[in-house]
Amino acid sequence: MSLDKEMQELLVNYTIESAELLQVMEEGLMELESIEESEETINAIFRAAHTIKGGAGIFGFEHIVGFTHVVESVLDAMRDGLLKVDSELVAALLPCCDHLGILVREIAKGHTEENSDLTKQSEKIIAGLQPFLDNAEGKQTDSSQVASQSIQVQDETHRVQNIECDNSKSGNWHLFLHFNPDCLRDGMDPLSFILYLTKLGEIIELTTSTQALPSAGEMDPESNYLIFEIVFKSDAEKADIENVFDFVRAGSQIHILPLESKIEYYIDLIDSLESDDMQLGELLIKCGVITRRELEEGLQAQQAKRERQQSQHIGDILIEQQTVQKPIVSAALEKQQRVKESKAIENQSIRVDAGRLDILIDLIGELVIAGASASLRASQTGDMALQEANAAVISLVEEVRDSALQLRMVPIGSTFSRFQRVVRDVSKELGKDIKLHISGADTEIDKSVVEKIGDPLMHLVRNAMDHGIEPAQLRIERDKPAQGNLQLNAYHSSGNIVIEVSDDGRGLDRDKILAKAVERGLIQVGETLSDQEVYSLIFEPGFSTADQISNLSGRGVGMDVVKRNITELRGDIAIDSTPGKGTTLRIYLPLTLAIIDGFLVGVGESSYVIPLDRVVECVALPPNENHDYMELRGEVLPFIRLRQLFNKKATLSKRQNVIVVEHLGVKAGLVVDKLKGELQTVIKPLGKLFGHVQGVGGSTILGSGEVALIIDVPTLLRQQEFASNTH
Amino acid sequence: MSKTIMIVDDSSSIRQLVKISLKGDGYEVIEACDGKDALSKMDGKKIHLIISDVNMPNMDGITFVKEAKKLPAYKFTPIIMLTTESQQSKIQEGQAAGAKAWVVKPFQPQQMLAAVSKLILP
Amino acid sequence: MQTLALESELNIFNAAEQKPRLLEFLECDEELEVDLANVSEIDTAGLQLLILIKREAMKAGKKLKFVMHSQAVLNVLELTNLTGTFGDQVVLSSDEE
Repeated sequence: MSLDKEMQELLVNYTIESAELLQVMEEGLMELESIEESEETINAIFRAAHTIKGGAGIFGFEHIVGFTHVVESVLDAMRDGLLKVDSELVAALLPCCDHLGILVREIAKGHTEENSDLTKQSEKIIAGLQPFLDNAEGKQTDSSQVASQSIQVQDETHRVQNIECDNSKSGNWHLFLHFNPDCLRDGMDPLSFILYLTKLGEIIELTTSTQALPSAGEMDPESNYLIFEIVFKSDAEKADIENVFDFVRAGSQIHILPLESKIEYYIDLIDSLESDDMQLGELLIKCGVITRRELEEGLQAQQAKRERQQSQHIGDILIEQQTVQKPIVSAALEKQQRVKESKAIENQSIRVDAGRLDILIDLIGELVIAGASASLRASQTGDMALQEANAAVISLVEEVRDSALQLRMVPIGSTFSRFQRVVRDVSKELGKDIKLHISGADTEIDKSVVEKIGDPLMHLVRNAMDHGIEPAQLRIERDKPAQGNLQLNAYHSSGNIVIEVSDDGRGLDRDKILAKAVERGLIQVGETLSDQEVYSLIFEPGFSTADQISNLSGRGVGMDVVKRNITELRGDIAIDSTPGKGTTLRIYLPLTLAIIDGFLVGVGESSYVIPLDRVVECVALPPNENHDYMELRGEVLPFIRLRQLFNKKATLSKRQNVIVVEHLGVKAGLVVDKLKGELQTVIKPLGKLFGHVQGVGGSTILGSGEVALIIDVPTLLRQQEFASNTH
Repeated sequence: MSKTIMIVDDSSSIRQLVKISLKGDGYEVIEACDGKDALSKMDGKKIHLIISDVNMPNMDGITFVKEAKKLPAYKFTPIIMLTTESQQSKIQEGQAAGAKAWVVKPFQPQQMLAAVSKLILP
Repeated sequence: MQTLALESELNIFNAAEQKPRLLEFLECDEELEVDLANVSEIDTAGLQLLILIKREAMKAGKKLKFVMHSQAVLNVLELTNLTGTFGDQVVLSSDEE
């Protein structure tokens, strides 16, 4: 490979990486606006900017280096606490991300030299940052004063002193016990607690401090004044030592710290812990240096501070409460950082061309089919050894299939977090105050699905903001918080991934939708429909006309397109709405598009596959059942005769079976001739020619070489419902 | 000199359990079946620790604790309340009345002994 | 030299009575002795009183000695690591060892 070509590849990598880092920066900045504990986020943003600058330096893109340097200076000042993080600052930094994005894209296009237009823009944006830099410099000089003040404050509280003694090496805990002054009156004698302590371990050193004992005149003989410091050696867990003092905890100062000489040990322990991205508190609990109760107390203190508009890192609170020493917290923080970084590296480490991945998945699909074929042949030979060998191959193939599919799975988080910016911008545009909440960001979903879900989601989010959430004034009148809330949530549920878009706005107006539907001729006057049925009317093509935006409760716009997009992904969408309270749209999507677990059935001479996650149970069709429904455990189960549906003329088998399927709470039976068992199968899309065929989602090739159609249960059920409604 | 502990509970089996485990550790044990019974059996006697149930006929545990705390001889006597998991509020109520320690039922004899030895020196 | 012999208990139950009594005792001479032989029960409240009068005596430039420590007192002093601080030679009462 020539040097030039190498550099070219490196450059491509740089631009891809920079785009990712910019995404990190943007997400970080959005986060800064919404969270209070920002240190970690600022660091992440800083690192991202720093990496972009570093890369630009390698290639000699001086204009990017220069621009990023200024941004970095601002971030540095934020990191040092010289600049207050507020929306003004974020607003100044966001355009920097955008601009950097432009600069990097220019390079990707091959324009490695800067052009004068962009230079002007760069200068303009940098000018916007200048006031912040000036501000930070001013603060730098008096920061030393601030520091000395904070030390004074700390001195006021009694700090645990180190007991200086040679014995301390053999102990491992340092206890500081100042029982509450009333403990004696309550019948609690500190001495018996200390004696009890010896049941858990050995008191290496004990100092009784009498310095709190007042003068004779002031001393209340019934109050406790003694303070004990103990070097304790014990194999017991910290929580067990803590439990000793359960009865006297209220009002007492009880601190249990690892001994100074053991700090090293804990630092090593933290370093050696196998941990995923654990939270700081959990990390400290796991290595036994703090107890759950201490953490909860710390978190409560943090919450209390938050309510007073102050923010403090949980680590600092734990140090302040004398739960754990600073070096240990620092070690844990570093560990956390390393874990995050290593994760980040893992996330970035392999780039695979999506096309290659698709080929792999395709091949595995073929492998699954070939495997099924081989196992069919094997079972026909009756050769047990061959069958066993085959079974082993099949199970490996399944594993390979699963891990290959895993390769395509990506967390939906990055798709979600892109909406932070959208929500921010759109709410400004609309003059509404709307906050986006994201949950379930870790939920994994097939990459091909993720790519296609962005547009429908964008539609739903914009709709919710525009028409769902009321203007602040109206919200206040309705006794709602002025700030509107929008929630994006994702989770797995029985073979589906569910994505929710919820708002706490006005909800759908049933009557207006009904009126509109009648006007459009979608339903007859006087038809009784359930709420669900009414709401789903907004997905009808007839509803997507512009004049409804204002007089209907919104949501009319292009919903049929959204629906179509989702249906193309073999998914479905449902609406849940409470007038005045809000609306939730739930998108149900299959976990993967490529392979399904299916249930093979025979109708006449043909075979069909029903996706297994839709199948509830199988029952025998009662003989001589001439209706299109049957009774199943006291409920009426409508069914569809596949024989009729697919126009099969072959002679009726004596025994027919009903497969009960369910989708979105609607159950129905599919009448088939033969049950042929479960199989894994690769979905081959139907050609464009058959695009209009309803009720068939694709085809597959069976082990025998025969083609089977895959039943699209949701569509069938809807047809069924439609049919029963028109009866 | 061995120390004296009073167990107040309407369940004779619990009294029995507590008595046997405490005696095994060398304590003297006085039994009472409710708050009233306890007050009459205390009678100025030196009692180092009281263990009391919450729900009892005649006089419940909380009232008993309040009454006992009024008597000079038992003003500072440590009291352990016997509560069940579902009676978290009773723990608070008991603490307010003056019983600062508690043992959650059902308990193992060792748990009771641990609580006792946190409260009185041998 | 005056000696004060303390009775069976020195604890939260009688701390309020013992405090004025002990302080009063400090007044009565320059050299004082507190006999602990009969103290069968002592707790933190009792220990605090002993610490208090020891300190008050020192402030007043008087000599105060604790003698004939009972086993209960010894146990507590040992537990709290104050045996040395009290500065007296610990004399075992007759019935011990």
